[in-house]
Amino acid sequence: MNNMAQKIEATTPIDTSSYASATEAIRAEAARLLTEGSVTAVIGYRSGKRAGTAMPAIVTSPEKAAELIFSPSCVNNLALYLTKAKKDIRKTGKVAIVAKGCDIKALAGLMGESQLKREEVVILAVACAGVKGSGAATGEPLTTANIARKCRECTVHTPQGADSVAGSLSTLPELAPLEAEELARLEALTPAERWSFWKKHFSRCVRCLACRQVCPFCYCEQCMCDRNRPQAVETTPRPAGNMAWHIVRAMHLSGRCASCAECERACPMDIPLNLLNRKMAQELKELYGHEAGLKPKEKGPLAEYREDDDQSFIK
Amino acid sequence: MSKTITEQNLRLLVDALLKEGGRVVAPKLAETMTLYEPLATGQELDLTKLPRRSSKETFFPLCETILTFERDEAGVRVGDVDPASFPETVLLGARPCDAAAPSILDAVFSWDYNDEFYLERRRKTTIIGLACTTADDACFCTAVGLSPADTRGSDLFLTPLEGGGYACQAVTDKGKELMEKQAQFFSDAGSEKPLAPAEPAGEPLDLGKIKSWLDGNFENPLWTKIADLCVGCGACAFLCPACHCFDISDEGTEAKGCRRKHWDACGFGKFTNHASGHNPRDVQPQRYRNRIMHKFKYYDDKFGRTLCTGCGRCIRWCPVGIDIAAILQQVEAKVEVE
Amino acid sequence: MCDHSKNIYKPHLATIEQIIDETHDIRTFRLVFQDEAVRESFSFRSGQFAEYSAFGAGEATFCIASSPTRQGQIECCFRAVGRVTEALRRLEVGDTIGVRGPYGNSFPIEQFYGKNLVFVAGGIALPPLRTLIWNCLDQREKFNDITIVYGARTEADLVYKHELKEWQERSDVNLVKTVDPGGDGPEWDGKVGFVPSILEAAAPASDNTIALVCGPPIMIKFTLPVLEKLGFTDEQIYTTLENRMKCGLGKCGRCNVGNVYVCKDGPVFTAGQVKAMPQEF
Repeated sequence: MNNMAQKIEATTPIDTSSYASATEAIRAEAARLLTEGSVTAVIGYRSGKRAGTAMPAIVTSPEKAAELIFSPSCVNNLALYLTKAKKDIRKTGKVAIVAKGCDIKALAGLMGESQLKREEVVILAVACAGVKGSGAATGEPLTTANIARKCRECTVHTPQGADSVAGSLSTLPELAPLEAEELARLEALTPAERWSFWKKHFSRCVRCLACRQVCPFCYCEQCMCDRNRPQAVETTPRPAGNMAWHIVRAMHLSGRCASCAECERACPMDIPLNLLNRKMAQELKELYGHEAGLKPKEKGPLAEYREDDDQSFIK
Repeated sequence: MSKTITEQNLRLLVDALLKEGGRVVAPKLAETMTLYEPLATGQELDLTKLPRRSSKETFFPLCETILTFERDEAGVRVGDVDPASFPETVLLGARPCDAAAPSILDAVFSWDYNDEFYLERRRKTTIIGLACTTADDACFCTAVGLSPADTRGSDLFLTPLEGGGYACQAVTDKGKELMEKQAQFFSDAGSEKPLAPAEPAGEPLDLGKIKSWLDGNFENPLWTKIADLCVGCGACAFLCPACHCFDISDEGTEAKGCRRKHWDACGFGKFTNHASGHNPRDVQPQRYRNRIMHKFKYYDDKFGRTLCTGCGRCIRWCPVGIDIAAILQQVEAKVEVE
Repeated sequence: MCDHSKNIYKPHLATIEQIIDETHDIRTFRLVFQDEAVRESFSFRSGQFAEYSAFGAGEATFCIASSPTRQGQIECCFRAVGRVTEALRRLEVGDTIGVRGPYGNSFPIEQFYGKNLVFVAGGIALPPLRTLIWNCLDQREKFNDITIVYGARTEADLVYKHELKEWQERSDVNLVKTVDPGGDGPEWDGKVGFVPSILEAAAPASDNTIALVCGPPIMIKFTLPVLEKLGFTDEQIYTTLENRMKCGLGKCGRCNVGNVYVCKDGPVFTAGQVKAMPQEF
């Protein structure tokens, strides 16, 4: 997305030695919870068939807990599997979920929206130095060059408020906030230039809806973009419908999105969707002092009315 | 007929084709990714990477208008789209997994009813395939009966040579014709050795065996197991060279608009949803089963071909890491056991 | 401009000649093709379907509900439940709609010559059989006994009410109409009960008989065992399936039940064929 910025700092490896002990801790905790019967399933990660890859795993027996891992390829936000959209897993009972700091923000958000109760889930947090960005080769270790952009600005490497935290981190490298820089660059453009930036990106959209389907907050039983009576958003992958879809997506997630950037990672057309998410988050912070965090909030600012709300935008 | 062509001449060939008024679609670097796109000059040609999307859109565009309509007091007038307006096209640098796909799709687009939108583009396109000399860990063409040097579907076929440039083999008359017409860019084959073809990791799968398991296992706990992670997006289908499902939508107003045919995916929940609300494939495992069944059984039942060329795009881009090659291996192993 | 036959997605234009409200939400259109050549050449068989356009909203799939023995016009019957059917419902007499078809297979009527026929239908599922009923009645001498068992929730939900009356009055048709218990008014002169039980009570002989069943899945589910009990084999029973379709031509990939494409291999199937399919419809 931002090729020129990739080379700002020399490529150096990032210390992920704690991921081995995190893996051990997750396995032990998962096995314990499943043996005790205090949870019916543990949602975590396991190795993919290709060396160095990882994928979500739903483990239901203590023996299988040994398959769980934590590695720089554990990119998914597993909170997705606790939502209405994927409700089958939770039908079985209380579940445990492996969560990075960024994922916990999504869990907190879901709790704030009454989609999930704290007591329904055991949060197995992981101390995370970062995961790999899309485009990184499957086998390579985590470096300052291939780390996901969201991780460069992570403020929750070692999360709090979980039931346990696996692994402990040593020193972390200072990384340039590429996403914030890109956002600032866009902010400095004229509206016409920004419009053309997004128009160009959205023109590539194929409407595979991966951005929607991986989002923990896109749990609506029926997305308004799938409705056709009346049809709010054209379904064909053409400029009008694409633009409408991405604006609707950004608006519906503002004040809710925790910037896990799964939409951007899942996008096969490299549309920098998290820039939009970040921009919306920035606006909400400025307007309402709202920020996605680790604690469940009652309601997002756009779902709530207060007399002292800023109304200066009404002209 | 076999010749060679230098890298420079390949670019000049593109320029010559463009000058004649034809369209050349080839891998081109489009910001962060390579895509098959119409070239403006030969300099844009970039054969280093497998394009992110397959080349099926050369024949079966992501979205196309199939008719227009306009209503006034006199009634409705329907405007047609003339396939004669589709340009003569050379699809250059199609990898074997992409080049082979249209020959598989011909069967469905000509099944009793000829979809001229697809077929006319097919007739007007010459495919210049390109052997793969590198593969990544998601490639599995060899597992489904193709190979990095497979010429199936190509009219001309390029194989990179050790010292640069390409050996060029005419596979069909159409290819031979192009080579003869553009003879000035080709030289006689010398002693230059071709680069060794890539070696994708995938061990050949016994597709017959896999199909026989699918024949008898529409109901099997495996479907829930392999699809419980699937989030129901269309990334796999949209990047796939062989997925051909589409939707038809009217856009515009009732007074004036057009009808469009555009890619769709069987992984979407609303794909099979009836207007009444009844949905025969109500849950994701049923949809994922349809994807596997369609590729490795149904299409074979109907047309005797497997609807997969092993390009690996669905594996690389599945947001939750579902690996179709791993699933096929799992199925094959089940046959061994049962 | 290419000639019409080249674009398989391009519909014929037809004028709505008559609108009949069958029930509060089910409507019949009588359609006449605008192009004279199409009017003369359009032919179809009972059981086939078409794609009907409400331009600007899209296409919807329904059977051709009229009989091929009645040339010059076709009829379709639909319930307004979705975007397209609601748009169709907004159209008036004289308006233009698009019609693509006929598509799919059909009832092998020639194989029914000399046989008894038992039609079993529920609710809005009479139209796919009604095309065949009139087809048979228009060449009545070719068939033996004709029995029609038709039911709906209430009297008001019965479609083709005027034709039911006509069939009832004919001596060469045995019409058994029924409404669900509770759906009968004081004027009701038919049976009261669900279609499968009424069929069981009517007990048509299975010998040299073909049963043609069309209705909601739940009705079919309970009707098949009754027919079996009456001695019908799977090959003596025909039904039609419907699935969401877009192209109707075997290309768009959504109407398949297993490897069977409802649009090309169907919509008419024997009970044996349906049982052999994966139960995903």
